[in-house]
Amino acid sequence: MVDFSLWDIFRNLLLALRWTVALSLIAFIGGGLMGLLLLIARLSHSKLLRLAVNAYVQVFQGTPLLMQLFLAYFGMALIGIETSPWLAAGVALTLYSSAFLTEIWRGCVEAIPKGQWEASQSLALSFIEQLRYVILPQAFKISIPPTVGFLVQVIKGTALASVIGFVELTKAGTMITNATFKPFLVYSCVAILYFALCFPVSYFAKQLERKVQRGHA
Amino acid sequence: MHEPLLAIQGLRKSFGDNEVLKGIDLQVQTGEVIAIIGKSGSGKSTLLRCINGLETFQTGTLTVDDQALLHHDAKAMRALRQKVGMIFQSFNLFPHLRVGENIMLAPNLVKQRDKAISKIEAQNLLTRVGLAEKFDAWPDQLSGGQQQRVAIARALAMSPQILLCDEITSALDPELVGEVLRVVEHLADEGMTLLMVTHEMNFARKVADRVIFMHQGRVHESGKPEDLFGNPQTAELVQFLSALR
Repeated sequence: MVDFSLWDIFRNLLLALRWTVALSLIAFIGGGLMGLLLLIARLSHSKLLRLAVNAYVQVFQGTPLLMQLFLAYFGMALIGIETSPWLAAGVALTLYSSAFLTEIWRGCVEAIPKGQWEASQSLALSFIEQLRYVILPQAFKISIPPTVGFLVQVIKGTALASVIGFVELTKAGTMITNATFKPFLVYSCVAILYFALCFPVSYFAKQLERKVQRGHA
Repeated sequence: MHEPLLAIQGLRKSFGDNEVLKGIDLQVQTGEVIAIIGKSGSGKSTLLRCINGLETFQTGTLTVDDQALLHHDAKAMRALRQKVGMIFQSFNLFPHLRVGENIMLAPNLVKQRDKAISKIEAQNLLTRVGLAEKFDAWPDQLSGGQQQRVAIARALAMSPQILLCDEITSALDPELVGEVLRVVEHLADEGMTLLMVTHEMNFARKVADRVIFMHQGRVHESGKPEDLFGNPQTAELVQFLSALR
């Protein structure tokens, strides 16, 4: 039997960590952009768009991420898209994140007093200008804590992508455990790496929060 | 008689089953100063908010300087709103922007004014409302009266042809009311067309060319301030005025 040193374990986990980071980034960026578009649609004056976004959010909030991953993986194959764990995980996490971010941000926008909309409307600003220059900058400030809270959830949520054969940190941990028979050691290392990923995100968010507070004394 | 600057005909507005404006006809000439008085719930604020499209109405027509109000036509609304400025009871300054930026935002975006020019204009407007030194202040560093004067400057920056004032002193401490009213009086003297919903009867009497008393969604009585306040014709107005004393 081959002996694995602690460094061997750690090194292999670090290699797998790349894919956790990559998947998280896809979910953040894809989910963020899509979430923003959905938010604009949700806030628009079109009743149809509002209802559609609402339904979308309900579907993704009301089903487990695990099912969404399965459905993305097998569903895409069903409609003839040549799928891979990469593609399926990226798509599922993007859709999932966009639904939650839309809902989080909608709450932040609704916390902005109605008078801000009315004042900017009275000044002849268009809907997009109102959002861009008046509403979103104020909503942004209050959105930082809940958004980052969710992003940390997403980082940890990428672990679920292991079920469709995506080799990220958790999956790598399982594979190494199977080879080394040292589950406690391996999963401790896995946990430390997740923490090392999530903690800086939270820390950076705190700094950002403080900065935007100072921005207007 | 000139073409009226603001023409409202047969305007009806309901919130659900509740009809709050029951057929309003109103014409306002350029330079006229009109005070709208009435009990709360009489529809006076709603009427004001209809004029720049903050509220939609079901029937009737409304034109400002030949621009018809068309709720579903974004371009027409943008054109109309550039002619109509509004000042609110709760100031509604943008808290994330400095005073100067509050004033320059709309001219820069909507009128695509040159930045340097709009800055000079903003400074001039602040001087006009007595706040020349507050250009770089944040709104929350100002008193209520100062904030409201900034809001007036912000509305004026769009060079509106008509200014709507919706109970603009009602949220102010009594000692701050005067400074805001002085600014408004100044505007009236300079020939600005003003439509103000107000509870300041003395101010209405002094500044307004015409006073409109609204009751249950209708223009119940209107006329020169000295007639309306001195010789009210309807029992409702008599009652309203006596309740204030």
